[in-house]
Amino acid sequence: MHIEAQERDDVLLRRSAKGDEGAFTELYRRHQAPLYRFALRMSGNVWAAEEIVQDVFMTLIREPKKFDPQRGALRSFLFGITRNRVLKHLERVPRELLHEELDEDAIGQRGRAFEAMTPAEWAEVRERREQVRAAVLKLPVEFREAVVLCGLEELSYDEAARLLDCPVGTIRSRLHRGRALLLAKLEMLRDTPKRAGASR
Amino acid sequence: MTCEEFELAGLDLETMQEDDPVRSAAREHLRSCARCAALHENWQTLRADLQAVGAETQEAEAPARVEMRLRQEFRTRHKTVKARRAAVYAGWTLAAAAVVVAAVSWANWRHENGKGSTPSAVNSAQGVNMNKTTPAGPELGETIVAANDAGDFTLLPGSFPGMLEDATVVRVQMQRGALSALGLTVNEERAADLIQVDLLVGDDGQPQALRLPQTTN
Repeated sequence: MHIEAQERDDVLLRRSAKGDEGAFTELYRRHQAPLYRFALRMSGNVWAAEEIVQDVFMTLIREPKKFDPQRGALRSFLFGITRNRVLKHLERVPRELLHEELDEDAIGQRGRAFEAMTPAEWAEVRERREQVRAAVLKLPVEFREAVVLCGLEELSYDEAARLLDCPVGTIRSRLHRGRALLLAKLEMLRDTPKRAGASR
Repeated sequence: MTCEEFELAGLDLETMQEDDPVRSAAREHLRSCARCAALHENWQTLRADLQAVGAETQEAEAPARVEMRLRQEFRTRHKTVKARRAAVYAGWTLAAAAVVVAAVSWANWRHENGKGSTPSAVNSAQGVNMNKTTPAGPELGETIVAANDAGDFTLLPGSFPGMLEDATVVRVQMQRGALSALGLTVNEERAADLIQVDLLVGDDGQPQALRLPQTTN
């Protein structure tokens, strides 16, 4: 069956619920990447991210009527399920900290970006990235969500607030706290002079 | 702008509009406060680091096997639903067919019964009248109210015509040898043959008379 590129998600979902595999595939391809990235950046584990995304779309196959277009976009609905699954995963495996090996594409891209560097520079950059990644994964979940969405995925505060279903002010303050914690973890504040009367 | 205000607002300095008054105030504060300037520099470094870390996974997607598994699940689920739906349709169709067949059979039975009972009612008071038979005779095992029209019925030993009032005709299949139990003479050589016999059964359930339909030798 032919799928219009701009066909609305709810229309595709209705068709999918009636057994149209093409409509389901289109929905999957439209939404899987940001969900996968969010799960990956929150969990730091490619296998967990894969399982979470699969689980989210299984829910869409089994219970398509759970989505109510009146209550928001399908993207937000799927993101909400992903977020719940991620939180459950983090409860189960709270100390799973580091990213596993990145896939070939990511490594290739990184290699191309830094091909002009010397091996020592490259190692330093790589170490720095690992530290940042590990520091993000050590953030408390609510701050990590804000940092992942606004810092890594580079969404606007409004978009992040919509996805997390909270006020923009909350996002702003979580992001502020998250960045402060990151700076502390990365010891960037070591050389910053203290403000008079400020306690850290 | 104070240092506290800068910490709250200055974080997004780079993303603020050029004409935003907060931006100009923050810039002004940065020029005069070494601590906030260092903090701002750290934020900028952190922002760049985060962007770089984000860029590493910017193109990340779920592996193709996830899509494959999901599509497989989708097919299985919808095939199962279709099969279940087809089974339900088939069930209802069979049930409807059974109801139609039953209704037609009942209507036929009523029709046949209605035709047969009229002469029976008329003749029942006159005792057995053995002049007429049902053209084709009853089917095997079928019971009809005796129309007293079985002219070729043979009374069994010990039966009297008066006992045949309201008797019913029952067609049964039996071995020819079994006729001897009814007091009839049987050719021993053909005693094992299966034959069809119309029995005229009285009110007491005992056979009173019998006949051998034309098809039986």
